[in-house]
Amino acid sequence: MSNPLVDMEKPDVIFCIGTNMTEAHPVAATRLKKALARGAKMIVADPRRIRLAEMADLYLPIRVGSDTALLLGMAHVIVREGLADSEFIATRTEGYDELVDHLQEKTPQWAESITGVPAAKIEEAAILYGSSDKGAIYYTLGITEHICGVENVQSLCNLALLTGNFGREGTGVNPMRGQNNIQGAGDSGALPNNYAGFQPVDDAANQAKFEKAYGRRVDLEKGITKVTALDQCGDGIFAMIIDGENTVVSDPDQEHCIHALKSLEHLVVIDIFLTETAELADVVLPATSWAETDGNFVNTERRIQRVRKAVDPPGEARPDWWIIGQIAKRIGMSGLDYDSPVPIFNELCELSPIYQGIDWDLAEGGQYQWPIPYRGHPGTPRLHEDGFINGRGKFSFTDYRDPAETIDEDYPLWLTTGRRLESYHTRTQTGRSEGINDLLPEETLEVHPSDAARFGLHDGGWARMSSRRGAVDVRVETTRRSPQGTVFASFSFAEVPINVLTGSGYDPITHTAELKVCPVHVEPIAESAQLAAD
Amino acid sequence: MNASTSDTKTTRTICGYCGVGCSLDLVTRDNRIVAVQPAFDGPANQGALCVKGQFAYDYVHHPDRLTHPLVRNEEGQLQPASWDEALQRAAQGFIDVEQKHGRHAVYGVASGRTPSEANYMMQKFIRVGFGTNYIDNCSRA
Repeated sequence: MSNPLVDMEKPDVIFCIGTNMTEAHPVAATRLKKALARGAKMIVADPRRIRLAEMADLYLPIRVGSDTALLLGMAHVIVREGLADSEFIATRTEGYDELVDHLQEKTPQWAESITGVPAAKIEEAAILYGSSDKGAIYYTLGITEHICGVENVQSLCNLALLTGNFGREGTGVNPMRGQNNIQGAGDSGALPNNYAGFQPVDDAANQAKFEKAYGRRVDLEKGITKVTALDQCGDGIFAMIIDGENTVVSDPDQEHCIHALKSLEHLVVIDIFLTETAELADVVLPATSWAETDGNFVNTERRIQRVRKAVDPPGEARPDWWIIGQIAKRIGMSGLDYDSPVPIFNELCELSPIYQGIDWDLAEGGQYQWPIPYRGHPGTPRLHEDGFINGRGKFSFTDYRDPAETIDEDYPLWLTTGRRLESYHTRTQTGRSEGINDLLPEETLEVHPSDAARFGLHDGGWARMSSRRGAVDVRVETTRRSPQGTVFASFSFAEVPINVLTGSGYDPITHTAELKVCPVHVEPIAESAQLAAD
Repeated sequence: MNASTSDTKTTRTICGYCGVGCSLDLVTRDNRIVAVQPAFDGPANQGALCVKGQFAYDYVHHPDRLTHPLVRNEEGQLQPASWDEALQRAAQGFIDVEQKHGRHAVYGVASGRTPSEANYMMQKFIRVGFGTNYIDNCSRA
């Protein structure tokens, strides 16, 4: 997030797009509720009539995968209505004149033809956001899990740059990160393009710096993403080590994923349960869980916070860092044999410009948000206050593209996938927590009543849903949360493996899968083949 | 509940679910979690928790937890092994693959769920061990 969580209480106008925040980030959503109680206005763009949409002053029910068209249409109106912040544009951005040319044809009527949202509502949203003193944008995977995820984010940045909504309280472009330490994973250098602290690997100075620190010269070429690595399993990639990820259930195109992992000559999985992924491994190593571990998590507002061991692990389970270090030692690597997480974190801080000002002891209180560039620096709750890191904010000349697959006669419905409040990811944890499991014991397919009638489905009955990659059986729930023509399910239940269906395409830059769009066919069936077999 | 009695203790930590990073106190007794209390001074949550953070901790003590290393035997079954045997087997597999297919045949996937120390170790393992950037985390799916 560009701005801290506390800023969520401060905007005049909130624009949420592709975020089901009340379910996926419920505590953050309470901050928005405080802003609304104070009188802030909220615009929500989402294909589904989620709870956030019910709370909105203006709801834009966009067709799945049409976000860029909506955002271009809004930018057109902001320019046309003279709502652009000319001082901010003059002093802090570049490319405005080209953007104005680019937006010429992106009228709200054009956007309506793609998004399905009436032009008048697009104008209303643009004027509301564009007229605010403090406008804040919040998004989640509904923006990034598309083949055009990068353009979607760039289009959001255009809106904030046009209106000067950066670097001030209650503004910004704010992605809500999904996992407890997904931010920390990137910060720590677990990326094919960056060393720790987002230092590019293809910069020779960084290569030299890490050669000195690690005693080994690392390739100047970027590595490949996990998506590419899975594609190359058995043909280039022959060994993999996976820590704490149930790849088989969480990733798109399950059949492809299982085939990939089975093609390896050597697979090591570190986890707390024998997940569907661990079952495919040659070696499974038992890790400590969150309550049995000392270390640091980094949250969505870049805050570094200490996690502490409260109970002993079961049996012989050991911390992940220890396990990796012990494998390294047996391969003959030096410099990975630590006896506690403290020197590991301190090494990360020493090598990362964004963590330079802290160490294990200073991080104890959880008050630091990175960047913390030097000792004594207070941390940076709000980014871009005095300028952008790379000088001026660049406008992007984005355009709309169709999703990788679009609906047709054979696959006439859009499937969009997501999360539910009561489940977490592939349910390896929440599925083993009694109370919460009672709240949501099975997956359902959310279908608009008119689509149910059209395809012969009924509430509580069963459907077989197929895509170009596979089929799953799922119980039907008729609901007006789903718009006509679009159905919804989560990917959380291994018994209803929705990711058998997904995987139609990937963003060419980030390699993020288009998990939010998948054309499907549905038909009624007597009962789930899986249940019948049981 | 009185968290200060002699047989219970509280440990301040951070929720293990989403990226909001709510602070909470784990109340433990006899090496088991018995309750979660939201932290009113938690910067991200100011005393709030969701249904997952507040209640979904039973999995920590679930009988399905892995309690010892497993190694695939000649019949193709995963069977319990000592740490030493399992670590040796894990290491040898990477040595063999590197010898046969080269250093770009090994890939590491770090977790969005583990602490940063584990993520840092995973990327260091790949970079120091194989001199490549064949490392990613689970943020793309």
